[in-house]
Amino acid sequence: MTAPDRTEPPPPTRRGFIDWLIGLGFTGWFASVAYPVVRYLAPLSSSAGGAVRLSAEDLAKLDRGQFVIVRSGEARVIVLQVDGALRALDARCTHEGCTVQFVPGERVVWCACHNGRFDLEGRVLAGPPPRPLGKWIAAREADGGVVVTRGKA
Amino acid sequence: MSQARRGRVLDWLDERYGLRPLLDFLKHKEVPRGGHSLVWYYLGGTTLFFFTVQIFSGVLLLMYYQPGEATSYESIRYLTTKVPFGWLIRSVHCWSAHLMIVSLVAHMFSTLMLKAYRPPRELTWVSGFLLFAVALGFGFSGYLLPWNELAFFATSVGTDSVKGVPLIGQWLLEVMRGGQDVSINTLYRFFALHVVVLPLSAIAIIGLHLLFIQRQGMAPPMVHQRHATARQGLKFFPDFFLRDLLLWLLCLTALVTLVFLMPYGPRIPGIDWELGKKANPLAPAYPGIKPEWYFLWIYQLLKEFPPHLFGLEGPQVALALVTVLLLTWAVVPWLDRRAAREQPSPAFNDLGVAALLFIGFLTLKAWDIGGLRPGQAGLPDAAASARACAFIALGAGAAVTLLRFVLARHRWFVLSGAALLQVTLHGLAGVGYLAAGAISVALAAVAVAVLRRRTPREAAAP
Repeated sequence: MTAPDRTEPPPPTRRGFIDWLIGLGFTGWFASVAYPVVRYLAPLSSSAGGAVRLSAEDLAKLDRGQFVIVRSGEARVIVLQVDGALRALDARCTHEGCTVQFVPGERVVWCACHNGRFDLEGRVLAGPPPRPLGKWIAAREADGGVVVTRGKA
Repeated sequence: MSQARRGRVLDWLDERYGLRPLLDFLKHKEVPRGGHSLVWYYLGGTTLFFFTVQIFSGVLLLMYYQPGEATSYESIRYLTTKVPFGWLIRSVHCWSAHLMIVSLVAHMFSTLMLKAYRPPRELTWVSGFLLFAVALGFGFSGYLLPWNELAFFATSVGTDSVKGVPLIGQWLLEVMRGGQDVSINTLYRFFALHVVVLPLSAIAIIGLHLLFIQRQGMAPPMVHQRHATARQGLKFFPDFFLRDLLLWLLCLTALVTLVFLMPYGPRIPGIDWELGKKANPLAPAYPGIKPEWYFLWIYQLLKEFPPHLFGLEGPQVALALVTVLLLTWAVVPWLDRRAAREQPSPAFNDLGVAALLFIGFLTLKAWDIGGLRPGQAGLPDAAASARACAFIALGAGAAVTLLRFVLARHRWFVLSGAALLQVTLHGLAGVGYLAAGAISVALAAVAVAVLRRRTPREAAAP
């Protein structure tokens, strides 16, 4: 083989064209193997959580001044009762995703993992969380039950 | 077997597979002598020993472990309470995992101090770095498998930081977790990683690591560290190999002693494998949740970052910083251009010490040392803890510096000095952790620039 001329691009050859075709074939072959694997690994998006009705056990806990955490789809919601008013917030801390808890003595929602603190509206009071907790609506029904639904952003 | 018969078996095999060249090679294999202590050549071997223990004990654990929402926790509880010696196998697996990390880290730092990574052995360092990453992956994925509370939250936090990766963060998070949140699907994925993907990767990379070492031989001491009367190397077979075996026996003894004295670990947060309560995704995280000790510095760094910095979210910046630090560590052989020319490179010795001080201080602080008073309820006092940890770090830093100055005749302390300055500013003067870090880095940069100007140019000439 002779060294290619540096000043002019080498003329297209049949060899070069076939190499290009083979390369394209391999790329397509690789992509057709990789695509199903990538799709397989990504989980199906779960249905968005709808309204959740609290169980009798949860209601009893609320009446005792304790907080409860319920699941709505993939979301976790913390429900608490302060001065007779119901409140519901996203239970997943916006910092690193730990589950928060209510500290009645200090009237704060607290995350034990990295010491993030939120007020009862979900606003950040202290610590590293970058965003407030998402709001949910906890409403008392006519029959005394409590239903939790996602709040407007 | 008699000598003659052994010879005949060897001949028979040699006729078919040509073993003689291999035997000759092994006969002539040597470990370099005539410089620093031989101790440093054994640490890779002890890491390999603990890895072998992991494979054996792991296979035994697999005989009883059943991944699943209703079985993961229960099968481990059954294993440790009912199965004869089940507690022993689990404890060996846990202790050996921690000892393997200790041995690996010691091996890595000794490689750094001796500059064994200098050309032509750059890729041995890189493959070792990959093994370090695989070992951390083993620790992280194995932590979740008992499906207890501690594992659940540690994994929630650990995987959550992935969302900070630009563009593909959310996708990556869901792929890792098998959903939005940590669930039993996460456990299935981690199980596959822990018992199939990571072991295969580890064995492949260990093979490559050893192949590099076989082809190139172990790194000799650097020219300035060699004794004037350089001695002949130590024969690998049988001299070094038998010493290796003896050391492995000692490691096994130490492992078994620890297992019997403390079957559930030393009960320090991050080195504790009491099963505790079963994971409950609807229970709030409780105080004192800590990842394993070798992740504590990252855990603490996440705490030190404010919610927002440079228009990004705090955890994102922390993750970026850790990535940059680890990548820098991976390419040290190319950064250390003086060692490549067989010249002393004191800055990289100092880098190792600085890294240990940096990680050590964060780890101490993650344990809230000095911040918890006996009998006192509530949150640890962060400022008191920072002060106590700063005193410990300064004490250790002063001792190490003195030893280096007197024994190793080191004279370059810019980076370790910067690490200690940050600790002092933060712990004793009350400056914020990041501000103290920025001041220290800036001063270190100035000091390096001044030193470069003052050293004769010949040092930079090839």
